[in-house]
Amino acid sequence: MTAERKYRVLVVDDEAAVLLTYQLILERQGYEVVACGTSRQAIAAIASQHFDIVLCDYSLEEQHTGFEVITAARKRDATIPAALLTGYATKETADEATGQGIGVMFKPIEIEEFLATTSNMLRKNNEPKQQEGG
Amino acid sequence: MATAEIRLQPGRMNGRRATQPRRPAILRLLQAERSEEIFPLLLEEIIALGNPRALVVDVNLDSGEVTPAAALKWPRAQMEKFSTALWMQEHPVVSVLNSNRPQVLAKTNIYNRPIYIHPILYSNRNLCWEADRIRTTTCLAVQNFRREKRVRLEEQVCATCEMRAYAAAVIVEVPKNYTEQGVAELGDLIDLANRYLSRLFKVEHYYNRMRDMEITIAQMGTVMQSMADPVILTDTQHRVIMQNKAAERFFRVPEEMTEGLVRAVELNNLLFSAALSSMLVSGSDSHRDLTLVDAIEGEEMLFEAVSAPTYGPEGIQLGTVTVMRDVTDLRRADQELRVNYERLSEAEEVVRQDRDRLNLIIENVGDPIVVCDGQAKIVLVDPLAQELFGTDTEVVRDNVQFQNQTKLTTFIDAFTASFAERETAPLRLYNPALRQEIEYDARSGKIFGERGHVAYTVTVLRDLTALRRVEQLKVERRMLEIEKFAATGRLAATIAHEVNNPMEAIKNAIYLLANAVPENAAPVYNILKSETERVARIVRQMLGLYRNTEQVKPVNVNTIIEDTLLLLNRQLQRANVELQTDLQVLPDAVIAADQIRQVLSNLVINAKDAMPNGGKLRIRSRHIHGVDDMHGWVRILIADTGSGIPPEMIRSIFEPFVTTKGERGTGLGLWIVKGIIQNHAGKLSVRSRLGRGTIFKIDLPVVKL
Repeated sequence: MTAERKYRVLVVDDEAAVLLTYQLILERQGYEVVACGTSRQAIAAIASQHFDIVLCDYSLEEQHTGFEVITAARKRDATIPAALLTGYATKETADEATGQGIGVMFKPIEIEEFLATTSNMLRKNNEPKQQEGG
Repeated sequence: MATAEIRLQPGRMNGRRATQPRRPAILRLLQAERSEEIFPLLLEEIIALGNPRALVVDVNLDSGEVTPAAALKWPRAQMEKFSTALWMQEHPVVSVLNSNRPQVLAKTNIYNRPIYIHPILYSNRNLCWEADRIRTTTCLAVQNFRREKRVRLEEQVCATCEMRAYAAAVIVEVPKNYTEQGVAELGDLIDLANRYLSRLFKVEHYYNRMRDMEITIAQMGTVMQSMADPVILTDTQHRVIMQNKAAERFFRVPEEMTEGLVRAVELNNLLFSAALSSMLVSGSDSHRDLTLVDAIEGEEMLFEAVSAPTYGPEGIQLGTVTVMRDVTDLRRADQELRVNYERLSEAEEVVRQDRDRLNLIIENVGDPIVVCDGQAKIVLVDPLAQELFGTDTEVVRDNVQFQNQTKLTTFIDAFTASFAERETAPLRLYNPALRQEIEYDARSGKIFGERGHVAYTVTVLRDLTALRRVEQLKVERRMLEIEKFAATGRLAATIAHEVNNPMEAIKNAIYLLANAVPENAAPVYNILKSETERVARIVRQMLGLYRNTEQVKPVNVNTIIEDTLLLLNRQLQRANVELQTDLQVLPDAVIAADQIRQVLSNLVINAKDAMPNGGKLRIRSRHIHGVDDMHGWVRILIADTGSGIPPEMIRSIFEPFVTTKGERGTGLGLWIVKGIIQNHAGKLSVRSRLGRGTIFKIDLPVVKL
């Protein structure tokens, strides 16, 4: 986290209560959070705004999956870190995610782990830039 | 007789010389100490009475011959006339003997001068001792004396003492002017001499009898002593009167004998006495078996004692004669024979049972069995093999069976010639019942003969297709089980998933409220937090089940172990747990990899939790080879050096909601482990010692598709 700019986080979950709490936790941590309840909203957000990280529920409304959202985000920024938050990902799903460089966090998620993973992913992606800048 | 003549001389001098006065005849005759001295003395006395000559003829009672025995002044030439035989009835001497009355014969055809013939027979006035003892009056000597009964000369044998009498005749030539008185005097003298003779004869008879008896006794003694069997004569009080050497060996205490043997002899006597008594009591049965100890050899011997009572002449029992037969060898042989027979019967029974059992086994093996001889010729088949090859007795006509036989013979031929003691080879045979060719697993063994040659080969044919079918069925059943478990898991997961999202929201909300809780509400907040975390763990565990939806396929368990450890490695390092793995080469096992991964993960986390202050975690994998060519088992051992499981809990740890971790445990981990292992037809066991650690052992069957 830097003083000049807050990292922008896109959180997607079809459960409103879960979405809100994620948002509040992340905001308390100092991130700038955009919360979306559907894949459609999320993809729209991605199209119009820049995000540093995407944290997305796996199963979304009407058979849509988190992969669609992340794929959309990657189209805009190929190196954007992303993680799937899921309650019941199969090994295949997990393998597929890992294969694409997407992190997987299983619900119920330990909040410390959730925050640590998020921060790690952000740091990894931004360290070279910071070094270049520094 | 010559001496007698010399002695006569002084008598005839009659006072011419002063000589000692002649003793009376009665005293002179008394001087005779033996019977043969009587006749010479008598003849001298007869001559002294003034008779010119005298002769004694003796009757041989056996042959009937009558021959001169002694003579005085009788010319030898004239004696012959007196030799005769009892059947010559007309002979003067014989007729006098038969009449048993002395007689004077004037001139006869045998002698031209008058002769006095006096017959003499063995005679006594009193009964002899024998007759006296047995109180009978039938004594030949007395009968002869009394002349009461005419006893024919041929019958001169005493009925009582069996004594043979003597008979003789004294023949005296009397002067031509003989007087009645002179003849009577002569008769008295001869009778007197006969009485003396009879007495001496009697004494001599008894002496001879005694001698005979002594000889008989000596002979009997020799016979008795020379008998190898013990012979004992006892009195009515069972006291030993006489025994032979063989008996002494058992019943007499010799010198220089140890105390033990003396006691043995005493015991022998006691046993013998007891046997005698019992034989006496039982009466008819006079046989007894008797075990005695040989006092010299110290050896135990078995005898058969046969006893017979002995009776005196009066019919009174004097004692018992016992003869003992050594039947030790006999009985031993008998015993051995019996034992051998029994042993033989037993052996026969064992062989029979073995054969029955073998037959039973052969009949129930369920696989065709063929026994061939050393030339690969079929000698025995069981009913199943008979279907394939035909009977062992008939020539095969069926084409299929003939082809099968050819295939088998080729295999057996090669096997018989090889050095291998057993061999297994696939053999495709046509099964008439199934109407198809089937691949059999032919397993052959050799039975060697005495000379080390192959006497027989035994071949068991196993229907591999059937075996494979069974194995396939097992796999299918197992997969079904796994699928069932997965379905249960899915249901649980569905519920968990529905719970999961609200739970996630609650959990997050609790986190967010952390700083907004008034101090007095902190304990309540903490309960809310910890209990929610617990529900979260349960949900996570249940969701784990659902994640296992992948297919069952052959997997190397070592890879799964490595995967799991890679995932958990960080956690283990953080908990200061040292990891040791020892993974050996394993065959692929058909399993649901995710489920086994969960098993391992649960057990490793449990191990870690049991070692809050760190420790060692050892994980080992092995291939346990199975019997009967099954593929065996994959064994996984997971051992920690942790706190261990309390003994009272060890039975229930696999039940749901039982935990050793208190608030932190869900009580589902080991229950799930058990379910998964059971679904894989595996075995799960645990050993634990408080304060030392816990070892979980998992055996998964290796099943090949």
